[in-house]
Amino acid sequence: MSATATLLPDLARITGARDETYDVRTLQIELVERDRAESFTWRPGQFAMISVFGFGEAALTITNPPDEEGFIEITFREMGKLTSALRRLSTGQIVGVRGPFGNSFPLDEWGGRDIVFVGGGIGMAALHAPLAAVLRERDRFGEVTVVVGAKSASDLVYRGEFDEWQRAGGARLIRAVDPGGEVDGWDGEVGLLPDVFERLGLSGAETVVVVCGPPVMLDFMLKATSRLGTPPARVITTLENRMKCGLGYCGHCSVGRFMVCRDGPVISGEALATLPKEL
Amino acid sequence: MTALGWHLSEKEWTEWLRVLLESGIAVIAPVLGTTGTSEFQRVGSAEEAAAPPPSRTAMSPKKFLFPQSEVLFSFDFSGESATLSQPEMERGRQLLVGLRPCDAAGLRRLDEVFLSEPEDPTYSERRQRTVIVSQACTQAGQSCFCTAVGGSPSGREGADLALTKLEGSGDLLLEPVTAGGEELAAPASASWRPITAEDRAQAARQAEAVTSAITREPLPPNAPPILASSFDSPAWAEVADGCIGCGICAYACPSCSCFDITDSGGAACGSRCRSWDSCAFSTFTRHASGHNPRADQPSRYRQRVMHKFSYFPAEHGGEMMCVGCGRCIDLCPAGVDIHHAVLALASGATLRVQARSGVKA
Amino acid sequence: MTKVELRGTVEAGARWKPRVVAFTCNWCSYSGADMAGTARIGYAPNVRLVRMLCSGRLDPIFILKAFEEGADGVLVSGCHPGDCHYVQGNLYTRRRLEVFANLMEFVGIDPRRLSFAWVSASEGVKWSRVVDQVVSQVAEAGPVGSWAVLHAPSTLAPQPRQPAQPPRQPPSEEEVRQTTLNLRELARRLLENGEVSRIIGYAHSAGGMSAAPAFIDTPEDAERLAWSANSPGNLTAYLSGPNRARRPGKTAVVVKTCDARSLGGLLRENQLPRDEVVAIGVSCSGQWSGGRLAAKCYACESDISPLADWSVGAGGIADGPHPGTARAVAPDPRDAEIAALASLPAGERLAFWTGEFDRCIRCYACRSACPMCYCETCIADKTQPQWIPAASSGPGNFAWNITRAMHLAGRCADCDECARACPSNIRLDLVNHSISRSIERSFGSRVEADPAAVAPLTTYRPGDPDRFL
Ligand SMILES: Cc1cc2nc3c(=O)[nH]c(=O)nc-3n(C[C@H](O)[C@H](O)[C@H](O)COP(=O)(O)OP(=O)(O)OC[C@H]3O[C@@H](n4cnc5c(N)ncnc54)[C@H](O)[C@@H]3O)c2cc1C
Ligand code: SF4
Ligand code: SF4
Ligand code: SF4
Ligand code: SF4
Repeated sequence: MSATATLLPDLARITGARDETYDVRTLQIELVERDRAESFTWRPGQFAMISVFGFGEAALTITNPPDEEGFIEITFREMGKLTSALRRLSTGQIVGVRGPFGNSFPLDEWGGRDIVFVGGGIGMAALHAPLAAVLRERDRFGEVTVVVGAKSASDLVYRGEFDEWQRAGGARLIRAVDPGGEVDGWDGEVGLLPDVFERLGLSGAETVVVVCGPPVMLDFMLKATSRLGTPPARVITTLENRMKCGLGYCGHCSVGRFMVCRDGPVISGEALATLPKEL
Repeated sequence: MTALGWHLSEKEWTEWLRVLLESGIAVIAPVLGTTGTSEFQRVGSAEEAAAPPPSRTAMSPKKFLFPQSEVLFSFDFSGESATLSQPEMERGRQLLVGLRPCDAAGLRRLDEVFLSEPEDPTYSERRQRTVIVSQACTQAGQSCFCTAVGGSPSGREGADLALTKLEGSGDLLLEPVTAGGEELAAPASASWRPITAEDRAQAARQAEAVTSAITREPLPPNAPPILASSFDSPAWAEVADGCIGCGICAYACPSCSCFDITDSGGAACGSRCRSWDSCAFSTFTRHASGHNPRADQPSRYRQRVMHKFSYFPAEHGGEMMCVGCGRCIDLCPAGVDIHHAVLALASGATLRVQARSGVKA
Repeated sequence: MTKVELRGTVEAGARWKPRVVAFTCNWCSYSGADMAGTARIGYAPNVRLVRMLCSGRLDPIFILKAFEEGADGVLVSGCHPGDCHYVQGNLYTRRRLEVFANLMEFVGIDPRRLSFAWVSASEGVKWSRVVDQVVSQVAEAGPVGSWAVLHAPSTLAPQPRQPAQPPRQPPSEEEVRQTTLNLRELARRLLENGEVSRIIGYAHSAGGMSAAPAFIDTPEDAERLAWSANSPGNLTAYLSGPNRARRPGKTAVVVKTCDARSLGGLLRENQLPRDEVVAIGVSCSGQWSGGRLAAKCYACESDISPLADWSVGAGGIADGPHPGTARAVAPDPRDAEIAALASLPAGERLAFWTGEFDRCIRCYACRSACPMCYCETCIADKTQPQWIPAASSGPGNFAWNITRAMHLAGRCADCDECARACPSNIRLDLVNHSISRSIERSFGSRVEADPAAVAPLTTYRPGDPDRFL
């Protein structure tokens, strides 16, 4: 990226859209200007500021892995002003994109290790790019497990991709819903994600655990992994604070000296423990 | 720096401002408003700029570098094309005069935020066409504490030119601090007298008098680390007891840099604006889900104090993000006093500090 | 500039025609308009209808929004008095809009832009006549632009405040000292015998305020309490809403007579139970700063509010409201300022108020300091829809200040805290006070301390002033 940072987005066109659940949607987006599109390169874990003009901007993780030249994907839950407006858009319409911003997952350090991805609700969006990157170079890693959880069966995101993830020894998939969220014929796990994770004993001293979900879940996951003997340095998460500029000035996303946009969003459990309790 | 400074009569000073005004430079100075307080404003005449009111302005001069609300771009999707257009920036130079040394130092803090990588383009653009003249204080208010945070009533940090008004004669000493300042003054300086040793002695005496009029205590040198380890102190609730989360402190502060970005208009056309924001507001950190990492007012006030006196110093060689101008103390409708808050936290005893502030009767 | 071609075309710009937004109730006026349509009674085509279930739903912010979005005029129309589908919705609205129209006039908005009418379901002809009249009125007033008039910088210098001769003297130092000692004494007693768990009072401060809010939870800490001739801050703001600082059990709060009016308001609006608050009325001879008496104090008749559970003065502590002897009052200086403004031509008034609102930095201190602004989420913080433009500029500042004023109409305790808190010295006191006066003129009632008194805009009378066509 250039030395000066801009708050002026690039115009981009929606080139594809699919509903993941009743309130979660994935959009494929292409920058309109060729040269901008070509220079837009990112790493798994980075995010973009997506604009719907007239409604605002929001930080959304880029969910596709970097080599799909030409477009980015985002998956978002309808939460408020921007995300509702974004959900009303469809193929052909114009949005704005700034970025990519933030650090990325340390995939290089994961070589040869078992990896467990634990995604709660829309948190799974943040894990999608690293998961895809890992599956693409499947041989470099040990066992890969994906734990997808949501409050109910109809809230599970990326259901359409479950088969693909498991294909050809790709990943072991565990689906879980919160107690009360199961439907007739539910054959997955029932329980809060950290409990399911601990019950199944999914991590050990050498495992890398990649977690994303609501702030409380993160807390419980750190406890669960520590009981299973995984050092906090190998528990990796990504933070989703309120954020305005993505560039390190607006002040919104800071947690102590840590700025989610500049120093994050990806952070290890070890680093997290040094931050003030303000998540 | 070649020039060491000039001694100007009031007339010469006014005359120079007039020349600058006539050359098209926008001159911004404190002006006594109709409401009884003074504010930085663009002035029309040299006389207005030459005689700033003695009271400190209610608001800092930061809006001339970092406007309270600025249109980032406007968008128009109503026609056959979608266009984003950035507003035309003013191109002319601006001269800020009558800044107290703390004001100039405050703007330096903004530089540190906005000019560090990645550089903010609009701030940087404004900064480059701005020349800052600070003026040594001749009076200290009861809320002033620049000396507690490494500043001084005759400090020059952040200034391009430093001005000292000599008591008695009313003459002025103008000293270049940066090359930009010297460059601006040089063309007019041929007829100005150089500063004498006697001038300097008088300026030093004046500075000494104002410094000793500041009654507020310096902070303990280890305040930042003490604060850093006081995150969970119960004292936060006490020092910020009355805080009503109005955000005045951040808006008035010369060094607060936080902003919000909002769209206005509709889907067809409108604009995106950035506006000042404050960590005192509950909406500052509230997630779209409703979860709020800083759930109560004391935790928001803690952010204010920690950012200025712990987080920022930790990244800027110990330099505070507060210049001790006292504005937030004077304007806070709930009587919250940031200097007392820091002293209290650093000493671990809030009530003692309040008691020291003099409960008479 | 970034640009992308889109498909589709736009209408070519046409000559200006007035645009009027009509808010109509579903049962009468909307049907009336419908009838005009089906009966082929023509009416001006410049009207866009917004249907509401009842004219009682009309929040003045709708009107502001319409102007902001480019309407040149607004018409509100509902069932005739007595015919409301919901019996009385239109009668409340009649009061509310009377106040709103007076406020709009006070700030200098051209009255031709704002009309009200009663149109029944069978009055297609009347509807057509009303619309034609409104449209031609608005046409005369001309285009409002994009509310651009509110961007116009003020040409009018604000009037300097003219301090009138105060009717009283400031209290002596000895009186202040005795009052402080008595306050501490009472506070100690209340905390010691567990009658209250917290006392919200004032303490000396070295900062900007002569007396800052203090929260006292132990008898020893009562030593911090103080009274001064300048004890600003309406501490009832800490009783409810986002600033709420009550403790479990009873909380005592030190109140001046003006502050007690908002305590009455909070009780009236069920924001706290009466038995959880103890009002300590402190004998107040007015708020003095720099030798000047605050405007709100000139006409204040009593040194202790009737709501006081305890009265504290230099003379001692008494149970219940014990006002001192009758005291001198003088006309409220704000009235003279309001009258002076009201006598200006509308354009100059608008210039004055846009100049005032121009200085608004949108800190919302006015709201935070106000005891009656207790909403957990203020309308200014709501984004769906964005009722009030967030940026600090003309239209947003206008919408914010007018909306806040209307939300306080008939509720404002006249404590002038918003104006004190405002860092830009915007004359919020005059806005609120003018509303109080307009309510008094129109309905003969004012905001009382008595929690049982009915608030002026929560009631109506058949004979209320009626400016509806
Ligand atoms: C690094 C990062 C990655 C993320 N990735 C994802 C992801 O992949 N998928 C996903 O679903 N979510 C993600 N999120 C969360 C996502 O950014 C939020 O859900 C989103 O911002 C919600 O925006 P909203 O406008 O719909 O919600 P709202 O609650 O309406 O508002 C949030 C935004 O609205 C505006 N706003 C609201 N209130 C105010 C006010 N009082 N004043 C001014 N402005 C206001 C602001 O623009 C604010 O940012 C991520 C967040 C971060 C930080
Ligand atoms: S400290 Fe004072 S000025 Fe700042 S937000 Fe709190 S009440 Fe407002
Ligand atoms: S924190 Fe307060 S005293 Fe410090 S620079 Fe800001 S306004 Fe001035
Ligand atoms: S975080 Fe708070 S104190 Fe720091 S710059 Fe932002 S508003 Fe100011
Ligand atoms: S206190 Fe004054 S400046 Fe702040 S929002 Fe209210 S009117 Fe505007």
